[in-house]
Amino acid sequence: MSKQSPLHFHRMKDMPSTHLLGTGTPTCAGCGGLETLHTIYDILGEKTVFVNAAGCMTLLSVYPFTPFRGGWLYTSMASAPAGAQGVRDALDILLQKKKLSPDENVEVVVITGDGAAYGMGMSATSGAMDRNLDFIYLCYDNEGYGNTGQQYSPATPHAARTSTSRGSHGYPGYKKDLFAIWAAHNPAYVATVIAAEPLDLAKKIEKIKGMSGPRMLISLAPCPTGWDYDPQLSVEIGRLAVQTGVWPLKEYSDGEVRHTKVPKRRKPVEEYLQLQGRFRHLFEPQRDAAGIAEIQSRIDAYWERAKVG
Amino acid sequence: MFRIRFHGRGGQGMKTASRILGTAFFNAGYEVQDAPRYGAERRGAPIFAYVRADKSAINERGVIDRPDLVCVADDTLVGMPAAGVVQGMDAHTVLLINSHETAATWQQRLNTEARVLILTATEDVEDRAELPYIGSRCAAAAAALTNVIERETLVAALTEELGHLPADVITQNRDIALRAFDDMKQHAGLVTPGSMPSASDYDRPEWIEMPFDNAAISNLAIHAGATSVLVRTGLWRTMRPVINYPKCSGCAWICSTYCPDGAINVRADGYPEIDYDHCKGCLVCVAQCPPHAIESIPEHVAREQEAEASA
Amino acid sequence: MTRKLLTGNSAAAWGARLAGVDYIPAFPITPQTEIIEDLAAWIDRGEMDARLVTLESEHSMITAAGSAASSGVRAFTATSSQGLLYGMEMVYTVAGWRTPFVMVNVSRGLASPITLESDHNDIMAARDSGFLQIHCATCQEIADGVLIAYRLAEHPEVRVPAIVNLDGFYLSFTREPVDLAEASEASAFVGEYDPENLQFKGNSPLSQAMAVLGGGPYSYFRYEAHLAVQRALSVYDEIIDEFEDRFGRRYDMIDSYRMQDAEYVFVMLGSFSTKARDAVDSLRAAGWKAGLLRPRVFRPFPQQQIRQLLRGRRAVAVIDQNISMGMGGVLHSEFATALYGTTDAPLLASYIGGLGGRDISQQEFFAMADELRQADERGEAPAARLLYTEHELTEMRKLQAIAQAEQAEIQQH
Repeated sequence: MSKQSPLHFHRMKDMPSTHLLGTGTPTCAGCGGLETLHTIYDILGEKTVFVNAAGCMTLLSVYPFTPFRGGWLYTSMASAPAGAQGVRDALDILLQKKKLSPDENVEVVVITGDGAAYGMGMSATSGAMDRNLDFIYLCYDNEGYGNTGQQYSPATPHAARTSTSRGSHGYPGYKKDLFAIWAAHNPAYVATVIAAEPLDLAKKIEKIKGMSGPRMLISLAPCPTGWDYDPQLSVEIGRLAVQTGVWPLKEYSDGEVRHTKVPKRRKPVEEYLQLQGRFRHLFEPQRDAAGIAEIQSRIDAYWERAKVG
Repeated sequence: MFRIRFHGRGGQGMKTASRILGTAFFNAGYEVQDAPRYGAERRGAPIFAYVRADKSAINERGVIDRPDLVCVADDTLVGMPAAGVVQGMDAHTVLLINSHETAATWQQRLNTEARVLILTATEDVEDRAELPYIGSRCAAAAAALTNVIERETLVAALTEELGHLPADVITQNRDIALRAFDDMKQHAGLVTPGSMPSASDYDRPEWIEMPFDNAAISNLAIHAGATSVLVRTGLWRTMRPVINYPKCSGCAWICSTYCPDGAINVRADGYPEIDYDHCKGCLVCVAQCPPHAIESIPEHVAREQEAEASA
Repeated sequence: MTRKLLTGNSAAAWGARLAGVDYIPAFPITPQTEIIEDLAAWIDRGEMDARLVTLESEHSMITAAGSAASSGVRAFTATSSQGLLYGMEMVYTVAGWRTPFVMVNVSRGLASPITLESDHNDIMAARDSGFLQIHCATCQEIADGVLIAYRLAEHPEVRVPAIVNLDGFYLSFTREPVDLAEASEASAFVGEYDPENLQFKGNSPLSQAMAVLGGGPYSYFRYEAHLAVQRALSVYDEIIDEFEDRFGRRYDMIDSYRMQDAEYVFVMLGSFSTKARDAVDSLRAAGWKAGLLRPRVFRPFPQQQIRQLLRGRRAVAVIDQNISMGMGGVLHSEFATALYGTTDAPLLASYIGGLGGRDISQQEFFAMADELRQADERGEAPAARLLYTEHELTEMRKLQAIAQAEQAEIQQH
């Protein structure tokens, strides 16, 4: 695979202007997950095999339609990283036996939602990292079981209303720190990304293109359907997730965590929350000041610990 | 048995319509089936729901293929094969369309034996994915056309099905629904129960012996790239983003990068171009364009303008 | 050709080695583990050119086997019992990928209660998955069965994965003499793995295993898989002739023993059938016209051959080492299906035996033959029977006494 300079993406003008991923997929209008995927696909290119777990992206390909120009294999909710293992090992065996030329080699990319990544598929993911599998893992995290109607998942943030947490205070639990869990495996690379910050995303993809081993990405995926907002706000909400510090953009490698885009002055989290129907109960009929303050204090505590920003 | 289909877009409340009508039939002493047709339904994508009602137990199941009444919430769906609005319609069928146009226009356009009625499009909203009250109106109009559901029965059903909404919203729905009910009363009884297929006179199914295909052919695989472009997701769009090129700064393809579907490409001259066959109308581009050079207009208005321009 | 003493597990490993497998996703489970240990040792010593990767579960293991085979390499894997069930989602899934590989299942009874010993409920759970099933009665059949399974699974008209089944303990840990084919002969028989049009590589678009919308396409894909599995019946006959020419051993789809003029017939799967052979010999010596019929290939199910072989017999005892709760023996149901409505069909009796490794004695075979004769005289099949003795129940009562099972009953009342 050709390696471009990791400094290729300086400005928006450097972003790809034509897109590889085929249009016509059945994701919802305004899907933050698809937005991430198409950007990543533009940079990784078609010499890829995407190994897909059950989730919203299951329906990317419905026979005889596929948006992919290279490879795609659907597996199951729990075992996409194992599917990637089989594909990668097969490719390596074929390369070694000279039944595949280096030019025909492809990059193996797992794509799953948060339901698979944070829950059902976690042991398969852990196993793939244990085995130092040479692959990229993209989790599009829309903070709930989106394809079944947004029930809460291990990725759902505190207080969010979901179709299984409709009570007056929303989801009582807290979002699991998948970044830390993944980083604890000491894989080659872990990063958080978001499509609303395309340059940060592009730089990270460019960087991992030249690496080997497990390269793990969690993309916060604003979800108009599950989060209940007007689809045109998808990018705005994503950007606010970064600006309020809800979604820290960071990367891990060689035992160190670096923040890649630190908000200069963090905006109050309510700017992010109030745009989304899933948090409306924090503002209507009465403002839940204590509830909002708790969310804010957890964000502040994070950044305090991180000692940046 | 009454067999009634409701066609609309994801978000227009067709499931609610089927539930209101189902409950109304039930409260009027009928055996009932109501169901939405689930699939990969998305906001703006064509969807449908259906109701069966009979005085005796209903054995028929699944999608209604010979409807007595077809209600269409959004007239842009009528001519769309993927929406399946006209499927199974014959001279017995009544087609009720929420439209500004006349029944005669639709009758001619569709060249159909079905009897066409218009549910006069009263509320006009920019974004038809958010047509308010249309579910309630469709249910009420259908109830009137069957002539077996009383006004009070309809109101009770509507109140029951919308009970989770604020009181003022229910009241508004009720008033608007009753207007549709009263409007349609002039055609009361036009929709009549259809018959069951005859076992003595029917078309024999053209069964075949499934041919054996080698795995190379019959495996679950696609050997071509990007065939998804054959799927015209642009049909989901209820609002259309339009680039005002004089205002467009040809900036840095911000719209193209942010478009979730990758439906905006950059032309050779450096300006973006929207692929309307696939733009789902999320309007992220409108929200993100730095010089505000992309405007949104209702899809049906855009199509009317196109039709006028080509005429 | 070398003849040596091998356990059933070693014979399975040798089958994989001789088939020239490239890739072995693995996960340990008793009584299968020796298979992957043998393979790992050969790879470590450089005697075998393959890659073995231990996954973190059977679910992942079967996914990796399927995805590797879908990417152009010959894959092998092995499991048992709870492992097969843990991977069951993927057993069905990868069968639908139409991707050929071989999985050995070492049959072991299913929980609950937990047991390590053998019966066939595990493999019966995979009955409807789309995997081919070859059942072995001896260690020789295991080594040969793996080679045959690859040929069958990879045939262009078949192309579905295959399970080679052997009984835990009775074969897995039991040594028997096995003729091992020469490596060159074996690889000439199995041939190169041809992925046909399923292989991921650059500049070659390929999407696999996607969803369909609607019952029309779904029915097509499912029924084509069924037709492909059925096609394996005729393909098997071709392969088996070639196998015999090359190696001198013949494995008909149905192993029929002294069936020529048999009036009373035992039907069994797997290694316990050799016990039935002995019983047939003894019964013959005592003047009975007894025979044995053992399907080697269980999926596809050789219905036509079974009808032919059983036509005009007096009575048949189907001995199931499995139990479908609320119904009875699975093999009995399948034979009843095959024979229903055919002319000259024999009476069919159902016996459940050998659950959780429970032995079946020669005397029990003789008594079953006797029940068959009585049933024939009455003209009516006997009620289904569990092979279980008074002594066994007495022993069971002793265990219950220690467990104070009666105490619990008294407290309830």
